[in-house]
Amino acid sequence: MSLARRRKLLPWWFALPGLLWLIVFFAVPILNQVSVSLMSGDPEVGYDLTWSFSTYWDAIADYHEQFLRSIGYAGAATVLALVIGFPLAYFIAYKAGRYKGLWLLLVILPFFVSQVMRTASWQLMLNDDGWIVARMQDVGIVSEDGRFLASGKAVVFGLTYNFLPFMVLPLYATLDRIDRRLIEAASDLGASRATAFRKVTLPLAIPGIFAGSLLVFIPACGDYINSSILGSPNTTMIGNVIQSKFLNVLDYPTAAALSFILMGLILLGIAIYGRILGTRQLTELAG
Amino acid sequence: MREDDARAQGALERTLDELTTCRHSRRRFLGRSAGAALLAGGFASVLSACGIEGTATKNVADLERAAAGVRHPEVPIGNWTFSNWPLYMDKPIIREFDRRYGGRCKYVEDINDNTEFFGKVRQQLSQGAPIGRDIVTLTDYMAAKWVRSGYVTPWDKQNVPNAKNLVDNLKSINYDPERLFTLPYQSGAIGLGYDIRATGRELKSAKEFFNPEWKGKVTLFSEPYDAAGTVLLMDGKDPSKATIDDMVGAVAKIEEVAGTGQFRKFTGNDYTTDLTKGNIVLAMAYSGDMVQLQSDNPNLRFAYPEEGAMLFTDNLMLPAEVAHPYAAEKMFDYLYEPEVAAKLCAYVNYISPVDGIRPILERTDPEIAENELIFPPDDVRKRLRPYPALSTREESQMYEAMAKVTGA
Repeated sequence: MSLARRRKLLPWWFALPGLLWLIVFFAVPILNQVSVSLMSGDPEVGYDLTWSFSTYWDAIADYHEQFLRSIGYAGAATVLALVIGFPLAYFIAYKAGRYKGLWLLLVILPFFVSQVMRTASWQLMLNDDGWIVARMQDVGIVSEDGRFLASGKAVVFGLTYNFLPFMVLPLYATLDRIDRRLIEAASDLGASRATAFRKVTLPLAIPGIFAGSLLVFIPACGDYINSSILGSPNTTMIGNVIQSKFLNVLDYPTAAALSFILMGLILLGIAIYGRILGTRQLTELAG
Repeated sequence: MREDDARAQGALERTLDELTTCRHSRRRFLGRSAGAALLAGGFASVLSACGIEGTATKNVADLERAAAGVRHPEVPIGNWTFSNWPLYMDKPIIREFDRRYGGRCKYVEDINDNTEFFGKVRQQLSQGAPIGRDIVTLTDYMAAKWVRSGYVTPWDKQNVPNAKNLVDNLKSINYDPERLFTLPYQSGAIGLGYDIRATGRELKSAKEFFNPEWKGKVTLFSEPYDAAGTVLLMDGKDPSKATIDDMVGAVAKIEEVAGTGQFRKFTGNDYTTDLTKGNIVLAMAYSGDMVQLQSDNPNLRFAYPEEGAMLFTDNLMLPAEVAHPYAAEKMFDYLYEPEVAAKLCAYVNYISPVDGIRPILERTDPEIAENELIFPPDDVRKRLRPYPALSTREESQMYEAMAKVTGA
């Protein structure tokens, strides 16, 4: 083999472990679940592959409500996380000085405790007669029945809380990398601080906003822990349905079909979002 | 040696068979050709995997015949594994077993939920592979599913002379009438758990779950066996003889009331948080939990519904392809010694299936001996009802109906 050809093959050799990993742990399980979603039967006699695509339509017809709810809750949590996370990331990147490391540690510290534990402790703190719910009543966040738990708001709250660090970290990374001289140049050229922020900092932060939003939205869409701990029968998300189909009803095809529909919806959402916030606009704004 | 070879060859042939045939049917054959046309060859082979095996694979009658002649001769105990629920064992009891009989019992608390645990080992069981555990502890309906599917090994009664101490009302159960595969570990009742300060009066009837006075302040179990069974009792029916139609009917009744906002939540064990925090007034509750909760909050009460209560039993079982049956049976026998059972009962606070422990507890732990939640009075005991026997198909129909109610 000539040296040139060997050179050409070299990158493939480097990619090989990664490719194998992807095939074994991604492609095979996904295809396997695709085949499960197209099976029919029942838990007693088993399920056989019959290419029954109708499972997908039935799943959408039966569970569109939970799909919409999941997307709504995850969207609300993403917006909230952005509203809370942006000032925090901005503060850490620009104002925290030598305490940056400490602040970042504080942001990820909750991850040292399992999500279930953290959510369950919120369930304790948010009890109907507790201090927090009483304060919420004062400012009118809680509806007239005087409870916060077992409501959609509580689930969105839990999702926001649990996924906030995923928003803060990419935002921080992007903001921290912005060349400060650009902002200085803006004010030298007569821009007010607000204008400089709007015209320079914010556009340059878009990749961070994009990454952070995806990292919050995607896991929040499929989450079932927050809904089952903080919610009620009226707040079930699609993750709860998939869990119940897989573990209790033993209807594997519907569970698999629901998973793929969710995956499809998320991909579609990302494509649209990417179009809106994507690189094209980013370059235009920067230019 | 010859025999071994033959067996190995048989196994090999079976595997090859399974790999190549996949129980062809015409429809499937057509489907597969279409699939192959659609997809590149490699992908198609992944897609056309053999399907998911059902649970109706083994013949229970065969197993029952085998059970008659089962014999697990004495062997050294060695290292073996006991799977149980969290907080369901006084650990020194296990260490004492090790001291007495040798070997080492690896005691793992890895059963948090019947269906979840089943999901974890289902594949091995259906393929006839060992699951690496010598005792598993499963609740009646799940134990029934394992027996029905042949995922169990019969236990050798000669190794468990103390099994004679099993209380009369549990000597037989619908899914295992002669207790060939299961041996009760602990039982508990399902009833009304409430805070008497919030209700202002004693609650006695299962009808209270539906009483609009507590609207939005009630939780029920999401497990339909528990919830629907209790509703059937309320209506004067015997849930242990219920058909799938009865169960689904009871679920529909729950659904109707749930529509009015009566229930705050459908729960597993987690009702305890809402109850102790005062978020709810009344919970469908397990008797054993309430003993523990009462020690923290004396205002909490547990009542067996006057119409009767569901009785669940967790059962010790040997899974199919068990590696250390003798060790496991020795443990069965040990747990059925009244002294050991008394110690266990004082720790877990559930209803013990072992006769003759009350006199021991009267001496060592009089408070426990007098607790009606642990030793139900005779008139209550008569009204305790086990779960109905449903087929896997009926069961999933019931779960589907219940999932609609709980929103999933």
